[in-house]
Amino acid sequence: MHIVVCMKQVPRDNSVKINADLTINADGIEQIMNLFDEYAVEEALQWNEKLGGKVTVLSIGPEDWKEQIRRALAMGATDSLLLSDPAFTKLDTLGAARVAAAAIKKLGDVDLVLCGRNSTDDETGAFAPALARLLGWVQLTYVGKIATLESGKIVAERHLEEVVETVEASLPAVVTVVKGINEPRYPSLLRIRKVAKVEIPTWSAADLGLSAADLTPALNLVNRVPPPPRPKGEIIEGASAAEKVARLVDKLIEAQVI
Amino acid sequence: MANEIWVFIERSAHGDVAGVSKELLGKARELADANGMKVGALILGSGVGDIPSVAFSYGADTAYVVDDSTLAQYTTDGYVGAAAALAKKYQPALILTGASFQMRDFSAALAAELDTGVSADSTNVSIENGVVSAVRSSHGGNVINTLTFAPGKTAVVSVRKQSFPEPKADPSRSGTVVTEAMPAVPMRAKVISVAPKQGAVNLADAAIIVSGGRGLGSPENYYRLIPPLAEAVGGAYGASRAVVDAGWVPYEHQVGQTGKTVSPKLYMAIGISGAIQHLAGMRSSRTIVAINKDPDAPIFRIATYGVVGDANEIVPLLTEEIKKRTGK
Repeated sequence: MHIVVCMKQVPRDNSVKINADLTINADGIEQIMNLFDEYAVEEALQWNEKLGGKVTVLSIGPEDWKEQIRRALAMGATDSLLLSDPAFTKLDTLGAARVAAAAIKKLGDVDLVLCGRNSTDDETGAFAPALARLLGWVQLTYVGKIATLESGKIVAERHLEEVVETVEASLPAVVTVVKGINEPRYPSLLRIRKVAKVEIPTWSAADLGLSAADLTPALNLVNRVPPPPRPKGEIIEGASAAEKVARLVDKLIEAQVI
Repeated sequence: MANEIWVFIERSAHGDVAGVSKELLGKARELADANGMKVGALILGSGVGDIPSVAFSYGADTAYVVDDSTLAQYTTDGYVGAAAALAKKYQPALILTGASFQMRDFSAALAAELDTGVSADSTNVSIENGVVSAVRSSHGGNVINTLTFAPGKTAVVSVRKQSFPEPKADPSRSGTVVTEAMPAVPMRAKVISVAPKQGAVNLADAAIIVSGGRGLGSPENYYRLIPPLAEAVGGAYGASRAVVDAGWVPYEHQVGQTGKTVSPKLYMAIGISGAIQHLAGMRSSRTIVAINKDPDAPIFRIATYGVVGDANEIVPLLTEEIKKRTGK
């Protein structure tokens, strides 16, 4: 079975700034593998251990994205692929899905694509569904358990807000996973050293046969601002804990929130 | 491009029209009236009954209906297949959906099927000179984005619930029902069972949330302090990522970047320092109370009311005081 994991590199926290040209400034913030994607990598590895085949970790981004691809390789992914091109810098979610779809079609023998439920920076959750439609594959989102994975078939639990839906679908499929589907492993030092010099294949827009029109955003970002500041709060003072508590309850009753 | 705004009509667990769909019908009506447009209700299902007349009463002019046994349960193939066929035929300018997991699945796939993008989990939508724009936050609420759609293509916007007020129903309103057959689309997924989620807590719907963090010291303290206070204020209880990852509290209760995003009228953060990942999930709460030993904890910077002190001492007093004062 050939499983592709789509992985995104994101800032560790979201204390980002906004540049004058409306791009995001994450200077000084460590870049990590999108947390939900770690679960996708782990799930791919666990099934690969049972079924054999390949796990290809795929990412779209600049050359320095390779660090997180190496992390996935150190976790145990067998193959990697970076989709990198100056033309990819302004991709929106649909454009990114077009790029990934072209690469997955070019790989040719893929049975399953796993992604995290969303990235923790853009938070659209729209990449995987768009990818599934562009590939013409079935999608299963918010999966909290894959019960069966075999030739041509998947049975998975979709963990929705209040119900768990068990769904059977044909392969190939695109699946997004939620936190808690597994416990992602830490890459061993030995493996980190082993993959440090592995060559990561890189494909450009031309390699993928993508035109400028394929990469034109469907949505135009016209404004980007920080949230309005919260009204200034107050620290409740008091000579004793009981006094502070009584004053706090006064305030909450006054504000009609309890 | 037809001059119509469509609202996907979502059904609640009881089968009636979901609150978010009523909110969206109200917003669609307002936008349609301001721009000389019409409102369509997109109704998919098996046995849709009087849903079209309910949609009319909340502001729809036309109900576009596919009533077919294959739509008894949501599947992406069935619902996106039916919606895309309708949208390609009638070319609405905008399709609005809710932003539940099911609707996030639907709206993103539908947009791709229509060769357009989706503004996901939006908090506002507007139309000016025929251009649809939507507002959505990203980066854990630290960035508010305004996006516009290219004219000439159907815009798809999923909207967070309670972004708009629910309009009053007007049972005297009526409209036209347009019924279409289920298109022939491959149905590659089959729902085998739907079961209530074990330990499901609908934090997103809770008006009051009391959350505890590592500052409480131990899981015993968490359970001794947090659920009783939540009960006294009639709220749900949440937790920071740190205590969920430490195994004190199930993931269902996690608030933050990799947990749930909530905006209750009252959020109480107890023993939570206020890591940016946690703030991402609760910063839009109306009133925020923070109780923490450390006067420099970042949570105090966004708190409406802060109490510096030991939660183990303060919370039992607070629970008793609230019970006494509110008569519970």
